[in-house]
Amino acid sequence: MRLRIRFSKMGKVRFVGHRDVARIVERALRRCGVPITYSEGFSPRVRMSFGLALPTCYESEAEYLDVPLSPDSIVDGQIACIGWGQGKLHNEQQMQIALSEALPTGFDVVALTVEPKGGGSLQETVVTCGWKFDILGAVAREVEDAIERALAGSEIETERKKKNELVRENIRYGVYDLRMDGESERGPIVIAELSAKPRVIRPSELVDVLAPGAEMGIARRTHQWIEHEGQWQEPLTPSKSPQLKEYS
Amino acid sequence: MTSLWPRLEPLLPRVEKPARYIGCEDGACTDIYKPDATSWLLTYPDTYEIGLPNQGLQILYELLNERPDAFAERSYAPWTDMEAQMRSNGLPLFSVDTHRPAEEFDILAFNLSAELVYTNVLNCIDLAGLAVRASQRGDADPLIGAGGHCAYNPEPLTDFIDFFVMGDGEEVIAEITTTVGEWRKSGKPPGSRENVLRALTQIAGVYVPSMYEATYDGTKLVGVQPKHPDVPVSVQKRTVADLADWPYPRNQLVPLTEVVHDRLNVEIFRGCTRGCRFCQAGMITRPVRERPASQVREMVSKGLERTGYDEVSLTSLSTADFSNIEEVVTGTIDEPGTCGRVSVSLPSLRVDAFTVGVAAQVSRARRTGLTFAPEAGSWRMRQIINKLVTEEDLYEAVRSAYSQGWHRMKLYFLTGLPSEMDEDTLAIADLAENCVAIGQEYTKKASVTVSLGGFVPKPHTPFQWFGQNESAELRRKVELLRERLRRNKRVHLKWHAPEASTAEGITSRGDRRVGRVIEHVWRHGGTFQEWSEHFDLTLWEEAMRASELDIEWYVHRHRDENEVLPWDHIHAGLHKDFLWQDWQDALAGFGLEDCRWTPCYDCGACTEYGIEHVVASPVPPNGGSQGTGQDLAIGHVVPVDLRPRAEVGGT
Repeated sequence: MRLRIRFSKMGKVRFVGHRDVARIVERALRRCGVPITYSEGFSPRVRMSFGLALPTCYESEAEYLDVPLSPDSIVDGQIACIGWGQGKLHNEQQMQIALSEALPTGFDVVALTVEPKGGGSLQETVVTCGWKFDILGAVAREVEDAIERALAGSEIETERKKKNELVRENIRYGVYDLRMDGESERGPIVIAELSAKPRVIRPSELVDVLAPGAEMGIARRTHQWIEHEGQWQEPLTPSKSPQLKEYS
Repeated sequence: MTSLWPRLEPLLPRVEKPARYIGCEDGACTDIYKPDATSWLLTYPDTYEIGLPNQGLQILYELLNERPDAFAERSYAPWTDMEAQMRSNGLPLFSVDTHRPAEEFDILAFNLSAELVYTNVLNCIDLAGLAVRASQRGDADPLIGAGGHCAYNPEPLTDFIDFFVMGDGEEVIAEITTTVGEWRKSGKPPGSRENVLRALTQIAGVYVPSMYEATYDGTKLVGVQPKHPDVPVSVQKRTVADLADWPYPRNQLVPLTEVVHDRLNVEIFRGCTRGCRFCQAGMITRPVRERPASQVREMVSKGLERTGYDEVSLTSLSTADFSNIEEVVTGTIDEPGTCGRVSVSLPSLRVDAFTVGVAAQVSRARRTGLTFAPEAGSWRMRQIINKLVTEEDLYEAVRSAYSQGWHRMKLYFLTGLPSEMDEDTLAIADLAENCVAIGQEYTKKASVTVSLGGFVPKPHTPFQWFGQNESAELRRKVELLRERLRRNKRVHLKWHAPEASTAEGITSRGDRRVGRVIEHVWRHGGTFQEWSEHFDLTLWEEAMRASELDIEWYVHRHRDENEVLPWDHIHAGLHKDFLWQDWQDALAGFGLEDCRWTPCYDCGACTEYGIEHVVASPVPPNGGSQGTGQDLAIGHVVPVDLRPRAEVGGT
């Protein structure tokens, strides 16, 4: 069995890199007494696998994590905690609350299930990601026009840095959805659904297309979609909206 | 209170590792703002990754935030990319807790744990929007304080710092808070700064350099004298008598991004009396104060549960010397909450088999590196520095380690020690090769890393009179060893840049005149001098020339008994004549045993302050007072063959 967890990452913690997120989650799992398992070998590591890595500085409502559980850890359909949680039996909801509390402000577990292992890894099965981002100081009308032009044509040419080299690429194939969704105090808000195959297309690549020379404000991943029997679906549907505890 | 976050946030995507500027650590205090309280900004003048784990800073942070009349936030030196962003966007130094500007605090307190951070201190003061020179700051500006080991020679920083704190900070911060609180309540009117500084001189352990005047006779320092009759002639360090009263930090900060020492750290004792003569920490933190084993266990247990860490470090200057080390280690490993997955790291290990036994026990979960510090290659040299580790001790330790599954270990050495000759330097290679040979009896993979540091004499140690080796000489010794070890693929030699030792030498034993040098280096872009990619000796050489000061005089010259030293008015408890005698003993090759378990030498650290060692066990741990199995009954004379007295200075 495994835990499949969907969590959010919002506010100041968007600046934490994904390797650091792994460390943070590992500590939280231990604090809650989740019956985690370890790799073999000289330097055993906690077994867990994340979905697609989120670029540093991006927010997310849809980060995923699979944690394999030790076989004897499900008792009467409940999770038998170990370590610092020894003696506790948690159902999914209780575990979700406990993990959310153990994570730092800005991280929130929005869905959690215990399920049999199987299926491809999240990294392999995710086909597209949903994004929401704003463009600093751009003019809404112009962005709207740019979107229309982009979708009407067969080419969306972008430039990105790859090992200190500028690579030009037509990413029209990977743009499934692109539209304006009002304005924030920073600028126009854009919603996009972008391909994760063969590589993850980042919203930042679109900024130059939509508002040449402008800078991206805050970007947030809203969904990760997987293909299941010909249908696109989310690995987990949130059971609540993410909580962003306010900063003082 | 003002939060700079809205202005800071847009800059963060442009810098490396932005997580170091966001705060949000578990254990951070963000709702501590008390409008009428004395506010402290505790600043570590190096990067977040280096500064965050600092235990001293975390202890004071917690203690201050527990008080109704104070609160504290933290700040770290922004990396160069962030500094550029801050300067071009007009953003001042800020706290990471609530992102308030530094200028809004009553006190900016710096932790000085290394001399090469001094230019960063100036940079932080400047980034805060304040004049770097204390004399040019206004009445209502924050007071700039500094503490930590380097504060024991405060003189090079006296132009910039308003007050220094000597010794343990736990108690003295309360007194400073009260005094500064009164100033705060007065509204800080014109002329009040002078008064609060004068009042601070009345607190034991606090040194206010502007209340003292340094006089010179040519280049020679004549003395540092108080300007007013009520200002004490000398400043005595503060020492907490019993660590059991201070179980801090209770809520160690858990950072969101990886830092050095990224684990639970529990201080098991403070002070060390092994008497290694090069070691400033061992001299200035006396006496030994052990934390009760039960309290250590509780701090470890609660700390692991609270943080979720799977590694704990039992910190001290010589961890294997803790009276109950085995009990504490076993208890920690068997703690049910850790599921047997906890690793315990033991920094500053003694060189003996007992130590390896403990280390083997702790590495059941994950094998960590093993590091020994014989410090010098030859026995003659180790007697001079009073690191009384015999070759047999080392080989026994090494054998024990290889036989228990380790493949490699690290050996720390110093070079440029008093009276060191080439045969002493080369003896390092012999030791390392012999260690590898022992290892090869157990594993084909056996290897040893030799880490070589250039010795910089430190104030308040018996070696404070010694003329430091020139960097060319240190370089020659490194090359000598490198050449000697060139063909041995199993011994890896690493060394610190000898040039950095020269800059460290200028600042470590400098007087007030060196302030000009530090300012010059800073004004010419010399920040992050601890980082090899930013260190630049030519900056320091130019600064010395511009200030008409002589590197030879400050760094490489031997001092004599009667010379007034720049820190003579600062007292770490140690009598100057004790240190001089120990210097003479060093040159004569006399070792001095650990006074924890042998009669008192009256160094002054206990007797001056009416305190004593707090040691749980009256018998030394396995292996004798220095881990050498010496016969303790003969008193302080170490039963070893002595060579004829070596000449001062050596090579």
